[in-house]
Amino acid sequence: MTTPPTPPAGADQIVSDAAAPAANAAAQAAPAGPPIRPYLEDQGGIHGLFFRNEGHTDAIIATDAMYMLIFWFSAFFFVLLMFLMVYWTIKYRRRPGVAPPRSTAHNTLLEVFWTVVPSSAMLVMFFLGFWGYMDKLVPAGNAMELNVKAWKWDWGVTYPDGTQSGQLVTLGGRSDIKLHALPEDTEIKLRMSSNDVIHSFWIPDYRVKMDVFPNRYTGYGFRTPALGPEDDHAEGRYRDHWVFCAEYCGDLHSEMAAIIRVMPQEDYLQWVKDQGSTGDPIIDGKNVFKRKCATCHSDDGSNNIGPTWLNNFGTERQFIDGTSAIGDENYVRESILNPGARIRAGFDNQMTSFQGLITDEEIENVIAYMKSISEAAGGGADDAAGDGDDAPADDAPPADIDAAGEHG
Amino acid sequence: MTTVDTNHDHAHGGHHDEGSYLTPRGGFWSTIWAWASTVDHKKIGVMYLFAVLFMFFLGGMAAIAVRLELYEPVRQAMDATGATTITGQLFAPAGAESIDTGNQIYNRLFTLHGAIMVFMFIVPSIPASLGNFFLPLMLGAKDVAFPRVNLLSWYIYVTGSIFGVASIILGGVDTGWTFYTPYSTTTDADHWRVFFMVLAAFVLGFSSILTGLNFVVTTHKLRAPGMGWFDMPLFIWAIYATSIIQVLATPVIGITLLLLLFERLFHIGIFDPSLGGDPVLFQHFFWFYSHPVVYVMILPGMGIISELLAVHARKHIFGYRAIAFSSLGIAAVSFLVWGHHMFTAMGELSSTLFSALTFLVAIPTAIKVFNWIATLYKGSIALNTPMLYALSFLFLFSIGGLTGFPLATLSTDLHLHDSYFVVAHFHYVMMGGTVIAMVGGLHHWWPKMFGKMYNETWGIIGCLLVFVGFNVTFFTQFFLGTQGMPRRYASYVDEFHTLHMISTYGSWIILLGFLVHLFNFIHSLVAGPKAPPNPWGGLTMEWETESPPIEHNFHHEMLVKHGPYDFESVVPPHCDEAEFPLPPPQEGAGH
Repeated sequence: MTTPPTPPAGADQIVSDAAAPAANAAAQAAPAGPPIRPYLEDQGGIHGLFFRNEGHTDAIIATDAMYMLIFWFSAFFFVLLMFLMVYWTIKYRRRPGVAPPRSTAHNTLLEVFWTVVPSSAMLVMFFLGFWGYMDKLVPAGNAMELNVKAWKWDWGVTYPDGTQSGQLVTLGGRSDIKLHALPEDTEIKLRMSSNDVIHSFWIPDYRVKMDVFPNRYTGYGFRTPALGPEDDHAEGRYRDHWVFCAEYCGDLHSEMAAIIRVMPQEDYLQWVKDQGSTGDPIIDGKNVFKRKCATCHSDDGSNNIGPTWLNNFGTERQFIDGTSAIGDENYVRESILNPGARIRAGFDNQMTSFQGLITDEEIENVIAYMKSISEAAGGGADDAAGDGDDAPADDAPPADIDAAGEHG
Repeated sequence: MTTVDTNHDHAHGGHHDEGSYLTPRGGFWSTIWAWASTVDHKKIGVMYLFAVLFMFFLGGMAAIAVRLELYEPVRQAMDATGATTITGQLFAPAGAESIDTGNQIYNRLFTLHGAIMVFMFIVPSIPASLGNFFLPLMLGAKDVAFPRVNLLSWYIYVTGSIFGVASIILGGVDTGWTFYTPYSTTTDADHWRVFFMVLAAFVLGFSSILTGLNFVVTTHKLRAPGMGWFDMPLFIWAIYATSIIQVLATPVIGITLLLLLFERLFHIGIFDPSLGGDPVLFQHFFWFYSHPVVYVMILPGMGIISELLAVHARKHIFGYRAIAFSSLGIAAVSFLVWGHHMFTAMGELSSTLFSALTFLVAIPTAIKVFNWIATLYKGSIALNTPMLYALSFLFLFSIGGLTGFPLATLSTDLHLHDSYFVVAHFHYVMMGGTVIAMVGGLHHWWPKMFGKMYNETWGIIGCLLVFVGFNVTFFTQFFLGTQGMPRRYASYVDEFHTLHMISTYGSWIILLGFLVHLFNFIHSLVAGPKAPPNPWGGLTMEWETESPPIEHNFHHEMLVKHGPYDFESVVPPHCDEAEFPLPPPQEGAGH
């Protein structure tokens, strides 16, 4: 799905599946491999049964401690109650013809006792929970701010310098997991918003999630772990953390997973550099495709939620209202910014508007890439032709909703 | 708990020429018409029972299908040529190029499961079926206060269900039962299915309101002479508290769903931010109804458990007033805690307030559990199917209640919110609580409702299967949740595979258990031995009439002769003292 059958020469040189060689090779060798938590051995004990691994920050450790406190409190009372229930059930089982002993059916002191004791326990839980909550949500003052955009059905992360992540890797039985790198031992602050429906950004290893809304910013802060020898892999030192969408958002809700890969500072800087522009519109266009479009479109001829891009540009298409048109530059632009305007026959009106999620330059690069894989447009022979006339930049100003900027 | 002595003549027995409410009068078609136009609360209760059990079957099949799909993760892998292969997708058409179709089917299935189970099964389940049948009987009344309204509410229920089923037949909806905006106002935009499903929930609400209103008035006005509020069986208290919630909360969901339809059809911006609305407003409105309704679902179950424990342990319920007032307390607090469904969507201040309020609900609930277990002390406990279900309830509901703590605690909820932990938690409460109580109550009252005994051995086998299967299915899901599995996922990453497999095995055991019960009930109707009027030695008034009851419930006007739980001083009606012996009189015995 992510590799076209006839890629233009060099198109894979930056964003390629080979960028994560070990993960990719492992997936190709054994796509149904063992559970993947490559970065940490499963921890034993009851805590390990619940959470698998220990947290790396005070806030996470406090959350787990809170959970275990509630667990042991609950387990104690549950076992006590069940013991009494089973013991009395056996002891006072019915014997034919034997009357039960007389016993009281009311005891005010007992009622007060078992009202007050749980109430005080709950007061403790409430305050501890409140403190832990504030610890997890409030970011550090010097935190590096990441701009997280959610749409149906993917996450886009924009780094402080405007770079966007877009590397795809195969992990956990999935071949299209988007990877977002973060530097190790760094305070991070997320500023999140959605372009369509409500999503929720959950990092289970950090024990925190927050809903992501359209027209509103939410966020939280966390500290990435400091890496050690236990994080060494064949292709370098890193630690992976899953990100899942936790608010139901439609067809590919369950595919809206991503990986946060924590790396040493120098690896991170190199990674960010690798995500930048190559200067070649076709390669940049393919990178935009992988970052923003590949969840629903393919470039290998298979139709997913949306039509494939292979041999798409420059061909005639039918719409559900019976009209038809040639898919030219203006059509592509309209489909990206106002996807509901004309719906292709055989597809639902599912696509989110990428207004604010994509720059003009990126649109032009996408057009270049679409042309390069369409025979009707010359199959990549003359990829940059026509951009000047067909994609005027005056009807939609460059998206500048995000102060962090999106410079491709 | 006064004992007013009066005549009660049981000599009529089953030989009385009045015949039971089940006795057909006239031919086939006139019998059908007699049922379809009946205002008898017992017939309406039985019609509700079959309707909600049918919906339970539909929703249950959807659940089995959901678990089947989750048996294997959906895996996408690329082979050497770059072609993608997909494995593990149960419902996708053969040779599907992408995983979309399978996901769409899965999303419709879990919505179907949720919407049917919530709106068409569990909300009306106990109040409308067992409540309808036994509320007037336990009060010593001839019928509910408004018998025609009662029939109307059944027809409204059927109408609403038809809308719901129509939406399924048209292709189903994929909004989840919560209809969160803006997803629900934008998905599937060219079709009427969402409209039908929302309309179904809207219409069903009216059935709920009318039933609740009827029960409130009945409880106030139609108690038998001499029956004070604290002489009522605890099942009545529970139904009464439930009815108050239904009457007060259901209009809110009606208005909310109407606003949702307005937005969908006329593009009036209320919830959709692209139209200038606020999606969190919908969540506030929705949970302002749907949280109290959680207690509409569980309170009647708690009422049944109070009856089952007392009768089958032959013991005065411990802390009668504590249990009765905790029902009202739960009803009152239930209106103040809706925000705990939105800890990841609200600001810090509101989350903190709602977290504190949420802990309040735990207190009356804990009081009930303590009192139930204390009831077993020095009882005479019969280990039959209803009692085993009551004990299962105590086990499962305690887990359900205790796992509410990490969800009410803010720091842990940020992790567990919208995960499988939540799924496990509310299934332990809703299924481990309400469904278990309902099946237990059904066995308890089956002889009274249909005049036939069921087979005890098979009843116990079914109960054990359901209990074991339930724990296998849902206990694993706590671990899925803490380890990071989000809910409403058609697929998952490999590391969750083992736990999902175990959970699916459990669902098959539950299915087997319910099938055993189904065949046991059918066998009972066809070939079961005739039930005596009072097989368990119960003291509430439904046991004073025949099994099944006569058309007008009682031969004489009922007078209160003893409290509902005075097992130490009263030989149960129609019963032999040799079978239900009384303890010798003792000085200083409290009640």
